[in-house]
Amino acid sequence: MNFATEQNDPAVSATSLTRIYPRGREQVQALDRVTFNIERGEFAAIVGPSGAGKSTLLNLVGCMDAPTSGTLQLFGRPVQELTEQGRTQFRRDQIGFVFQHFGLLPTLTVAENVALPAFFAHRRRGRHIGELLEKVGLDHRRDHRPHELSGGEMQRAAIARALINTPSLLLADEPTGNLDSTTGDSIIALFEELNREGLTIIVVTHNAVLAGAARRQIELGDGRLVSDNGVAINNLTVKQMATYGQ
Amino acid sequence: MTWIELSLKEWQRRPLRTGVTTAGVAIAIAALFSLLAFQRGYRDGVRNELDRLGAHVLVAPKGCPYDAASMALHGASWPCYLKQTYLDEVRAVRGVATAAPVFMAAVDDADGTQAVYVGVETNILALKRGWRIEGNFPGRDGDLLAGAEAARRNGWQVGSTVRLPGLREQTGRVTGILAATRGADDAFIYLRLADAQRRFNHPGELTHILVRLADPNDLDNAVAQLRGCDAGLAMNVVPLAHVFHTIQSLVNSTRLLLGCIALVALLVAGTGVSNTILMAVAERRRDIGVMRAIGASRRDIFRLIWLETVQVCVTGAVLGVAAASLASHAVETWVRSRLPFAPTDALIHWEWWIVAASLACAVILGSVAGFLPAWHAASVSPTTAIRTGGRT
Repeated sequence: MNFATEQNDPAVSATSLTRIYPRGREQVQALDRVTFNIERGEFAAIVGPSGAGKSTLLNLVGCMDAPTSGTLQLFGRPVQELTEQGRTQFRRDQIGFVFQHFGLLPTLTVAENVALPAFFAHRRRGRHIGELLEKVGLDHRRDHRPHELSGGEMQRAAIARALINTPSLLLADEPTGNLDSTTGDSIIALFEELNREGLTIIVVTHNAVLAGAARRQIELGDGRLVSDNGVAINNLTVKQMATYGQ
Repeated sequence: MTWIELSLKEWQRRPLRTGVTTAGVAIAIAALFSLLAFQRGYRDGVRNELDRLGAHVLVAPKGCPYDAASMALHGASWPCYLKQTYLDEVRAVRGVATAAPVFMAAVDDADGTQAVYVGVETNILALKRGWRIEGNFPGRDGDLLAGAEAARRNGWQVGSTVRLPGLREQTGRVTGILAATRGADDAFIYLRLADAQRRFNHPGELTHILVRLADPNDLDNAVAQLRGCDAGLAMNVVPLAHVFHTIQSLVNSTRLLLGCIALVALLVAGTGVSNTILMAVAERRRDIGVMRAIGASRRDIFRLIWLETVQVCVTGAVLGVAAASLASHAVETWVRSRLPFAPTDALIHWEWWIVAASLACAVILGSVAGFLPAWHAASVSPTTAIRTGGRT
């Protein structure tokens, strides 16, 4: 499996990314002028305490939400200009998602769950499903329903589902948050393997082992970028922040 | 995997709730189907019955015209009679092609069954053009022509001499047996007119006269002439087309009421379906968020929920139509016992267009009922998936 592309644009390029939510009469600034780049093929962890803006950032990078201001380019494509339908299409074709609670539909079998993104993309991926299930070690469980699987197996199924449309970017939200440490380690190993094959991975996590496995840690606090790979960036200019990590 | 398979899978999540919702639709569609089938069956039944009589006008003694029509159609003992001499006046009216005199009487046999005797002349055959007779029409006194059901019930054969049911120590010779007409004629025993009058002690009297016109479009003119003739004051001239329309209009009011009930049942079922699917959407909000996150568009979600609703309604309709078909005999028995005038033909008479109309109604019901839940589901944001951690 090869996720490498020929273009040189970064996988993620966020410039002064801001997201403000209305809450009654008040406005909550979930992200405040966040600027960073993530290169293609990187394995990055977004860390920070609860309420730091990690999930908001994941929503924006995952094309599930639009920024209030700032620009966000994914593989050179300015996604803040996309319509709702355009964001859905981009998300479907370019991004795979892995959730903390797996997000498998309980009425579908493992194989059907894995096939679902391809179904929504009007693609036939019969052989690919078998390959992916074999890759995540679930080929013997393809006809089982989620409630018949262990937590680790469910997360493996969710990872296979995230890869079915051959995405350029894998986003994971606390992928080990609902697993014991041993199972979590096997999921981390799977992420590392996928990254070695060239897939760009961004995880939001509180898990120090997972964050450590990522070669880059982006720390958020109160909606702002606090540090990038351990380097405090309070004193950097916007231009410096934009080029940081390149 | 197809859209239909995907939406069918959702049924497994709450089978009891889906079953109850489907049953609600089934009841409403069964009511609609039965009403449409009854409307068709009753109209066709009355029309066929009048057609089988073969006459355009019924001339009967004074009294209620609908009672007279009912007695002539189903067979009964008449409370009063016409003089046979009126027949000549009826035949003299311009436009009358055939005027067939009839003497009818009903008697109870020892076993409690009713036997209906009908005295006629050979010109009755000009009206009963659909009759097929095994043997011959009665040629002399003592001969009889048995309806198919009467012959079967009494075990009669052509050529045999038989005891006449309900007529003590009287016999007759079966010269012919009618092929089944599926009407009241099947139960009648036909004698020569004079023979019947003699056996029932009413010589020179008739119960009614069946009149066939040369041109049915000349009905109003012929009826006016019949009412205006010398015997007109003593006769009740009943145009059977008017009887048909009057019976239909009498039943129409009942049908309108039943139609309103069916409509209310459909609205209640539709509201129930909509409410159930709305609840299901609320419960599956996280699932829908996950589907949106992994690539389902708003249109995809709308289609999925809308299809689920239509499937529930169509399944309910199929079950409702099947149940109504299976229960049609019981429903017919119940309805027949409450109708003032019921034809002998099946009252619940379904055709494929009624099945198609019921299914189409279910599709429309599902489409309308599914719109709100589908629109509601399509508005679920994909960020729900992240907010809930993909918990399903």
